[in-house]
Amino acid sequence: MKNAVFLKVLIVLIVLTIVSAIFSNSNLEFTSTIILILSIFKFVGVSFYFMELRKAHVFWKASVLIFLFLFSVVSLNILW
Amino acid sequence: METQSLNHKNLYYPPGGILMWIVIFLELFTFGIALVAMILYSKDEPEVFHTSRLLLNSTFGAINTLFLITSGFLMAKSVAFFKEKNTAKTSLYLKLTMLGGVLFLLLKSVEYYGKIDAGLTMGYNTFFSFYWMLTLFHVIHVVVGLVILISIYFGIKKENNSTKLEDVEASAAFWHMCDLIWLLLFPVIYLIF
Repeated sequence: MKNAVFLKVLIVLIVLTIVSAIFSNSNLEFTSTIILILSIFKFVGVSFYFMELRKAHVFWKASVLIFLFLFSVVSLNILW
Repeated sequence: METQSLNHKNLYYPPGGILMWIVIFLELFTFGIALVAMILYSKDEPEVFHTSRLLLNSTFGAINTLFLITSGFLMAKSVAFFKEKNTAKTSLYLKLTMLGGVLFLLLKSVEYYGKIDAGLTMGYNTFFSFYWMLTLFHVIHVVVGLVILISIYFGIKKENNSTKLEDVEASAAFWHMCDLIWLLLFPVIYLIF
C-alpha cells in the first residue's frame, strides 16, 4: 500500500520535472512563475511523502510550508 | 507482518529526528537566501544572467533531477523495508539509492568538465560565481550523504546488526534534504533566467 503511494508520488514528480523543462523553453509571460510553482509542488511531494512529514507533528508541516511560502513570495516578488 | 515504527506525531520526534530537522532547516534557509540573492543580482545584470543561463545544459539538470528524485523514492522504499525487518530488500534498495547518487555525481562531473574546458569558471561572471558556489556546495552534501548511506549499508550488512530505525530514518532525511535543495536549485539556476 505504502509502496504504491511512493510510486504514484515518483510518477507525479517525474511528470512535473518534464513539464518544467518544457515550460522553460516557452516564451510565455508567466514562465518563471509556473516553473517556481511546479518546483514548490515537487518539494512538497518529497518532504510530505518520501520524508513522511505528513505523519509528523503539525509544527513540522507548518514550518516547511512557511519556508516554501516565504521563499516563493520573496522570489516571485523580485522576479516580477 | 511485524513492523517497527516511531511515534512521529510527537513534536520532538519528526521522521529523521529533531536534530536532523534543525540541520535541514538551516540548510534550506542558507540555500534559500543564496538563491534569493542570485535572483536579486539577476535584476542588475539581466543580459549576463540570460546569456549565461543559456550556456548551461538544462537537459543535464533535468536528468540529474530525475536521478535524485528516483534515488529519493528508492530511499523511502528502503526505509519501509527496514521497518518490515526485511534486511535483504533494505540493503538492495539502499544500494540502488546510492547508485542514483553516484549517477548524479557522474553527470555533474561531465557538466563541470565542459564548463571548465570552456573557461566558464567561478570568476567568469556573477552568474557563474553563483552557479559554482551553489552547485558545488550541493555536491558536497551529496558526497556526505553517500558516505552516511555507505555506513548505514555496512551497519545493516553486519551479522550482529545493531542499526536502529532512528539511524536509518536520520540518514534518509539527510539524503532527502539533498533532493529538496536540488529541487530549489534546478529551476532557479537552469530554467528561469
